[in-house]
Amino acid sequence: MTALIFLLVAVAMVVAVRGQRGIAIGLFGVSFVLAALWLNYHIVDVLNLSL
Amino acid sequence: MASLVRLGNAVGAMGIAILLLAAFGIQFLQGELPCPLCLLQRVALVLCGFGFLLNLRFGVQPLHYGLAILAALFGAAAAGRQVLLHIVPGTGAYGSALLGLHLYTWSLILFVAVIAGVAVLMIMGGRPDHDRSDHQTALRFRGSSRFAAWLLIAVTLANALNSFVLCGPVDCAPDPMGYWIAKYLP
Repeated sequence: MTALIFLLVAVAMVVAVRGQRGIAIGLFGVSFVLAALWLNYHIVDVLNLSL
Repeated sequence: MASLVRLGNAVGAMGIAILLLAAFGIQFLQGELPCPLCLLQRVALVLCGFGFLLNLRFGVQPLHYGLAILAALFGAAAAGRQVLLHIVPGTGAYGSALLGLHLYTWSLILFVAVIAGVAVLMIMGGRPDHDRSDHQTALRFRGSSRFAAWLLIAVTLANALNSFVLCGPVDCAPDPMGYWIAKYLP
């Protein structure tokens, strides 16, 4: 999944360099939402913040 | 002042690419494999770089800075979570320390620094480049700006390949001991 997110961002960057800002920002949005969901998936452990 | 802001964005994009290369150095030279939260911090770094890249390609605009700040907040959340996981004495740590701090702590400091850096660039930037045509901004997208953009793209693609080799197509082990692809190699 992380590989897919990196790939999406790389495609967004190439699209931006080619001059299509709208599509690039759309791809950024998709990859950002995926990254946020993936972070949420990984933060299931209970935090112990005191001894 | 506009050229200084442009240089600041190029330095930001290039700096992020160099940091990601340094992370590769630690991974391959010291043999420290990144955990899922570490990979998400790398994702946040490239997303920050995307904001700088948009400024280099389309001219400085608040929207691009907003994307960089959003990405930095995401990175700070991932790094902050990892710092809190190990903040109680005796709960261990992940990876080795660099100058007394672990990489996730440096990462948290870095994301706060990105937000501060973007704030400074926005203060220096003055009026946004809305009035410039795409042709004008495209003409200025050369030299160090172009190099920084393509370096960032190359490093992002390298990270995609690295994540696939390390974790496979779906999930990554919380404490990876080896590369996923190694299971399929003779």
